[in-house]
Amino acid sequence: MSATDLRNEVSAWLAAEWDPARPTKEWLAAVVEAGWAAPRWPREWFGRGLSDELGHVVEEEFRNVGAPGTGQDRHNLYAATVLTFGGDELKRRLIGPMLRDEVSMCLLYSEPDAGSDLAAVRTRADRDGDRWIVNGQKVWTSSAATADYGMLVARTNWDVPKHRGITFFLFPMKQAGVEVRPLHQITDEAHFNEVFLTDAAVPDAHRLGDVDRGWGVLQTALAYERSVMGDRARAGRGTTGMAEMGDELVALARETGRIDDPVVRQDLARVAALRLGNGWNNQRAKAEVEQGSSSSVMSLGKLAMSRLLHESARVRTSLAGARAMLEGPDEPVGDEANFLAFNAYFTSIGGGTDQIQRTIIGERILGLPKEPEVDRDLPFSEVRRG
Amino acid sequence: MPAFAVTPEQQDLRASVRRFLADRSPEAEVRRLSDTEQGFDPDVWKRMAGQLGLQGLGIPEEFGGAGAGHVELGIVLEEMGRALLCAPFLSTVGLAANLLLTSGDRAAQARYLPGIAEGGTVATVAVSAAGLPGAGVVARRTDDGWRLTGTEPYVLDGHVADLVLVPARTTAGVALFAVEREASGLGRTLLTTADRTRRQARLTFTDTPGAPLDGGLPAVERMLDLAAIALASEQAGGAARALEMSVGYAKTRVQFGRAIGSFQAVKHLCADLLLESESATSAARYAASAADEDAPDLPALASLVRFSCSDSFVKVAADTIQIHGGIGFTWEHPAHLYLRRARTSALLLGDPAFHRERYLRRTGV
Repeated sequence: MSATDLRNEVSAWLAAEWDPARPTKEWLAAVVEAGWAAPRWPREWFGRGLSDELGHVVEEEFRNVGAPGTGQDRHNLYAATVLTFGGDELKRRLIGPMLRDEVSMCLLYSEPDAGSDLAAVRTRADRDGDRWIVNGQKVWTSSAATADYGMLVARTNWDVPKHRGITFFLFPMKQAGVEVRPLHQITDEAHFNEVFLTDAAVPDAHRLGDVDRGWGVLQTALAYERSVMGDRARAGRGTTGMAEMGDELVALARETGRIDDPVVRQDLARVAALRLGNGWNNQRAKAEVEQGSSSSVMSLGKLAMSRLLHESARVRTSLAGARAMLEGPDEPVGDEANFLAFNAYFTSIGGGTDQIQRTIIGERILGLPKEPEVDRDLPFSEVRRG
Repeated sequence: MPAFAVTPEQQDLRASVRRFLADRSPEAEVRRLSDTEQGFDPDVWKRMAGQLGLQGLGIPEEFGGAGAGHVELGIVLEEMGRALLCAPFLSTVGLAANLLLTSGDRAAQARYLPGIAEGGTVATVAVSAAGLPGAGVVARRTDDGWRLTGTEPYVLDGHVADLVLVPARTTAGVALFAVEREASGLGRTLLTTADRTRRQARLTFTDTPGAPLDGGLPAVERMLDLAAIALASEQAGGAARALEMSVGYAKTRVQFGRAIGSFQAVKHLCADLLLESESATSAARYAASAADEDAPDLPALASLVRFSCSDSFVKVAADTIQIHGGIGFTWEHPAHLYLRRARTSALLLGDPAFHRERYLRRTGV
């Protein structure tokens, strides 16, 4: 199929079907039914078997009219993971509802003793006939209280090195034995939860990939997640996007009477350069990838964003001055400075700390040798913890 | 052409310049030329023009050039920065040829640009290190034409320039003058530069005859913006090369039975330097394509890349010394050549603090 034919087909379909007033559920069902939700997937699995390039044509046409629902072969990490690793029965039962946004999902990866070292998970899954019994604790799970399923990594073999004894499950959350407790963050918000699992059950049919081979499944799922997360760093409360870090700092400097302070002005220019530089890096990475070369700039994005967020929060704090000693609705300038200073850690810790990020950049991009790993070949049961 | 898209011709240009410089400007040549009075190799300068057409790359075809854009010039300067080429290229092309072009003075263009393009003319602009045109020289009209008097203390390649373009103060504001090699009352004192790969001279003018050019202050300011972008490209190239040296050394230097690059203290530093170096490259390339498109925010962009690429190059080159440890502290190792280039190029045409302030002013803050 040529790109032009496809473009015509999609735009004709959208012209006939798309109506911004249409209820979301009904709209998504129509998109899935037509095969546009995940156009790169095979026809038997809700797709159209299109190449990546043609998939972008579909996405473009949807974007042009502002219609949601397509591109899920790139963005829906849950459906994509189930499609890649699930059994046929599970795929038939769940992928449709996932694409139609009828099931709510969460991630059960991190644990108190398995943060940066995710392969050190201690939540255990023990086989019990055609199901597994799960015990342990997960943390940093958003949407845990409302989720229907969680993507779970659990230890199924303690006598082999850590990467080789993990299994990946699509875990049903709505059952006894699952207790969700909100996690109180340094920003005084609670976007995440702790999840306690006590003799909870997951059918073997919900296993994604082979027993003890869950680490590989996780890598695929994480790759999907990273590609989604790229540009999702949050700005301030009630503000959106990058403008916050440029123009709003200038506005604040004016408001606080500091706009003529040469020290402040130097800071404002520095932040502007970081902000614009990140945008140019992203544009360049995109251009390099589109031209078919690999781009080392891409993997720098998260580190760069974290640097920008911390730096702009520092400048904001210096502009707020003594007011940054206060918080709350009566002192919005101080409140925002504190919120941004604390929330910057969301980016420099979440999804791989800056330190882990630097290690990845050093090893995968620059080709520097790996650090010796003392636990690499030890049976997990003998690995030191603490 | 969207920013960052690279044509096959641009890839070829980069490859051929890199090959040429690997051949003609290896470290041994850089060091040899650093110790000569002239500071560059006239034969290499000729070949740069004859074989590759580098001096004329951005000069219009009617004046003997190739009529290419600032993106192409940026590619060439990145490569020259990598190689620490000893040649009066920034002065002749980045400053003087750009000023002749921005002046709009067709007679001066026809008189000087062909010589620059063919590699016969070395040219420079007598502009202060602070990037403030007309700071040092006053011009007055006499019955016998214009006469220039004053001093410019830091003139790139002023000791060898066949043509010196001088922004000078007149009763009607800053005006441009061309001073040729043998002009009377032109004094040149070669300075001992911290970066011996790039020469500077103090030029004194004592009733020196100068031929007036069109253009005035706006032409100089436009040229300074374009030169800032050219210099940023050179800095980005230098930073990329210094980082390569650091990473290469971190992979091969063994201490405590391990390559030092396996230690996080070194590995993480290298990752940070990659962010610096790539950000400098992105910024310089973006600004070059904005120059080709004559973007309205070019003055602001020029100031931004002046400070951000300067800061990035200094950081990368400084940490390159640190990563190399003892060997990096020796004269024989090339790491210090990059730090010298980085530290001094940060101070040309206005230092980073000056350009941070100017960036804000130019964005209306």
